[in-house]
Amino acid sequence: MISRLRAFWNNLFRRKQLDRDLDEELQAYVELVAAEKLRSGMDPEEAHRQARRQTGGIDQVVQNVRDLRTGVGLDRLAQDVKFGLRTLAKNPTFSLVAAGTLALGIGANTAMFSLLDQVVLKLLPVSHPEQLVIVRETGNHFGNSYGPNTISWPMFEDLRDNNQVFSGMFCRFPASVAIGYGDRAGQISAELVSSAYFQTLGVRAILGRTISHDDDSVPDSKPVVVLSYSFWQSYFGADPHVVGRTFAINGHPMTVIGVAQPGFDGVEMGNPAKVFVPIMMKTEMTPHSDGLKDRRRRLSWVTAYGRLKPGLTAEQAQASLQPLLHGILEIEAQQPEFTRSATSADRQVFLRNRIQLLSGSDNGLREDMRTPLWLLLALTGAVLLLACANLANLFLARATAREREFAVRLAIGAGRARIVRQLLVESLLLSGGGTLVGLALAFVADRTLLRIYLPADAVNEFAVSPIPDVRVLAFAVGVMLLTSVVFGLLPAVRSSRTEITPSLGDRSGALSAGGTSLRRILVGIQMSLSLLLLFAAGLFVRTLRNLENVGPGFPTGHLLTFTTTPTLSGYSYDETKSWYERLSVNLQAMPGVESVALSTMPILRGFAWQNAILGKSFEGMPIEQQPCLSQVSPDYFTTLGIPLIAGRAFTPRDVAPTDYAVVNESFAREYFPRRNPVGQRFGLVDDMRTVTPNTEIIGVIADTKYRDLRETPHAQAYFPYLAISNIRGMTAYVRTKGDPREFENALRERMRQFDPHVPVVDLQTVTEQIGFSLRTERLVASLSAVFGGVATLLAVIGLYGVMAYAVLRRTREIGIRIALGALRSNVVAMIMREVLLLIGCGSAAGVVLALALASLIRSQLYGLNARDPSTLIGAAIVLALAAGLAGLIPALRASSVDPTTALRQE
Amino acid sequence: MAGAESDLLQGTLDVLILKALALQELHGMGVSRRIGQMTNGAFDVKAGSLFPALHRMEQAGWLTSSWGHAETNRRAKFYALTKAGRKHLRTETNRWARISLAMGAALGVGQEAL
Repeated sequence: MISRLRAFWNNLFRRKQLDRDLDEELQAYVELVAAEKLRSGMDPEEAHRQARRQTGGIDQVVQNVRDLRTGVGLDRLAQDVKFGLRTLAKNPTFSLVAAGTLALGIGANTAMFSLLDQVVLKLLPVSHPEQLVIVRETGNHFGNSYGPNTISWPMFEDLRDNNQVFSGMFCRFPASVAIGYGDRAGQISAELVSSAYFQTLGVRAILGRTISHDDDSVPDSKPVVVLSYSFWQSYFGADPHVVGRTFAINGHPMTVIGVAQPGFDGVEMGNPAKVFVPIMMKTEMTPHSDGLKDRRRRLSWVTAYGRLKPGLTAEQAQASLQPLLHGILEIEAQQPEFTRSATSADRQVFLRNRIQLLSGSDNGLREDMRTPLWLLLALTGAVLLLACANLANLFLARATAREREFAVRLAIGAGRARIVRQLLVESLLLSGGGTLVGLALAFVADRTLLRIYLPADAVNEFAVSPIPDVRVLAFAVGVMLLTSVVFGLLPAVRSSRTEITPSLGDRSGALSAGGTSLRRILVGIQMSLSLLLLFAAGLFVRTLRNLENVGPGFPTGHLLTFTTTPTLSGYSYDETKSWYERLSVNLQAMPGVESVALSTMPILRGFAWQNAILGKSFEGMPIEQQPCLSQVSPDYFTTLGIPLIAGRAFTPRDVAPTDYAVVNESFAREYFPRRNPVGQRFGLVDDMRTVTPNTEIIGVIADTKYRDLRETPHAQAYFPYLAISNIRGMTAYVRTKGDPREFENALRERMRQFDPHVPVVDLQTVTEQIGFSLRTERLVASLSAVFGGVATLLAVIGLYGVMAYAVLRRTREIGIRIALGALRSNVVAMIMREVLLLIGCGSAAGVVLALALASLIRSQLYGLNARDPSTLIGAAIVLALAAGLAGLIPALRASSVDPTTALRQE
Repeated sequence: MAGAESDLLQGTLDVLILKALALQELHGMGVSRRIGQMTNGAFDVKAGSLFPALHRMEQAGWLTSSWGHAETNRRAKFYALTKAGRKHLRTETNRWARISLAMGAALGVGQEAL
């Protein structure tokens, strides 16, 4: 083994020396043979002549020995590479076009894969992330919920203490908290975590320690905080003595006990945590609600995580946890907070709830981006395939042109395998060059996309980076090899089948038919793929149009919005309420302001406050059907421009003794069909007390969007914020007289003067906010449009290439036809028949494919069917026109063939 | 028989070279001559097969080579057996013994049947 390695090493790096030695060795052999003959009495000249003859051609012996050398394959490869580079350099246009096409194709794929990998495929940067699961309860929870993956604190405790399947279990709650620096204030993301968090995740502290069981056993007892690595760097300047320092969160002094390992930003990628706080500090971190101490089982708010014991699958764990959950549900169904509002039918539904385990690396961003990113990768993949088809076409054409070269090589004894290898090396060289440029392009593309996609201040903090890592590099190399095989192997195998004799014979300028039918099939595939891409682009562009056109249901042109949460800055509920009263008056007095509205729920940001309601003729319902609620200021509807349809809006006097509500049309239709809703009453279901329906409807407004633009109008009810006592923060909507964008800075400054201690969050125009909420749709629409355009261009070039070549090959035949009296129009028709056949077959295949794949993208569309016929027909027309024009050029050229010249060619 | 290049059985040349080098180290010509002596001139190994075989066996680790001086004081490359080479020679010798016995029995050598 070692001798082999040494031989390999010598053969590679000491070839010259070896060759010299071999020469000398053979020389010595000849001389020794001659000397022997001399001794036996032969005359010197004859002896040397015979010796040489006996040795039999030194060169051949040398070659035989060389061929034996270990690593001779590498030697040949080097030859192939050298020759390949020479061939490519001889035809720089061809090489540049090919490498450029590949660079674009591989670059686009790498860029998309990089995003997909980081957002969707990669698991959390913790130890053995594949063992980590989110434990959620499916079905109707019959209570209030902070999100689909949350459970109540008592249920978490039950599951944690009684399960047999997890080696560790923890829960977390994301919160936005206020920190003060200097005279300014800001909000950061905090993660409230139960004590086993760091231990179960296997995340260490690089400084100090992580949160221990002692920190998290008694509520409000340990005001400690662990910093994320990036927050430690940006906020504390990587201070090595940070442990033991104290800083205020929500006005409470918190002691730093450690810094988490670099790269770990909590378990939710889209919302990187800056600080980790024991969940026992919930009251201090979220002054508005306290599911921890009141132990309500009908309030689900924590996300529970478990680490599966080694060897257990998620299915096994799920099955083992199900009886445990059922036991918990049985107990909960007996409790007054459940029986108060639920019927016996509800109880049956409730007891059918199940445990579901999700990947611990799942999060909202991943969920939202999974389909769009896979889709975009599929689109770029299709574009690359199209590019490969074009390159294969180019290579086939070139292979035909090089037939003589191959024939010569075959004639002087090259193996066919050697020729296939030579061609593969050439295609690898091209795709290798393309990949290098493509990687650079991918970096630029990803950086640009991230800048467009994210708000400016979020780019640096986002967990996704445009810099390629090992996985991305491996992907790029994989794509490179794959493409080389796709566009290189076919032509290579064909070329190696070159027949020697006809190729070397004088063919008087006739071009061989090599690969024509193959090239037509390639063009057909290109046609169908580009139809598919055009169709997808059409669907996504129209989806974006539809979403932009539906709008939220009220005019947004002159609206500015921002959010404040005074309770996080230490204000009490009473102070907060008067703070907002003063704020309203203050902003109303600002020059250029038409009116000011306040709402406890921000609209069109994906949030919703939903609660079951009850009335005389209806009660309790699953959360998906519960109406969306909000508490608003009296001017809310006029400021937003939502028309009042019946009754009246709120006045500042609507605070007592009755509860008042304004509902939308959908609410009125759903709960009070065929009745005048004004004057009807309903109540909000509450698990803490028995409720009677005593909230009176005073007005009905038009339907508007609440959660996002995609939703269909939902039942909504609004209450006057002045009537409630526990306001923690509100979102303001300011209608301006002029352009709201010019107003942004003035408003920011006014807020700073009004109260520098309360941070202003998400200040932007509502138009911007809506535009931002459509960023995924815009990304998909614009990229798919670009890909569709590129795909069509590639397909059209492919068609043109094949037809132009066909016309060239048939010049003589066309000449004869014209000489025999065929009209020019007949010739055009003859060529165009072929063109249209190609387009027709390709498009037909494309239509079939499009209809088959349509269901995959249904969830990404809005306002149109995934098999929308007009979009499909439109795409087919665009493609047919473009391809038809491209086919017309060679057809016209064919018709202008001069019969005398054509016939003289022979 | 002498002078005609016999069709050496596959592997025969390797064993012969190993055997030739078993007693002392030799240069290429020496190996060729020694094989001629050992086989009473039945095998005349030409340079075209000898040198590729020597280099192949050196890469396989059965032989080592060093530069020395031949009878005529000409600088020449000498080959010697390595430990692995000796071991290989032993196993090959055993194999050949079995084969020649079997072949002898099969063809009835020594019965003057022909």
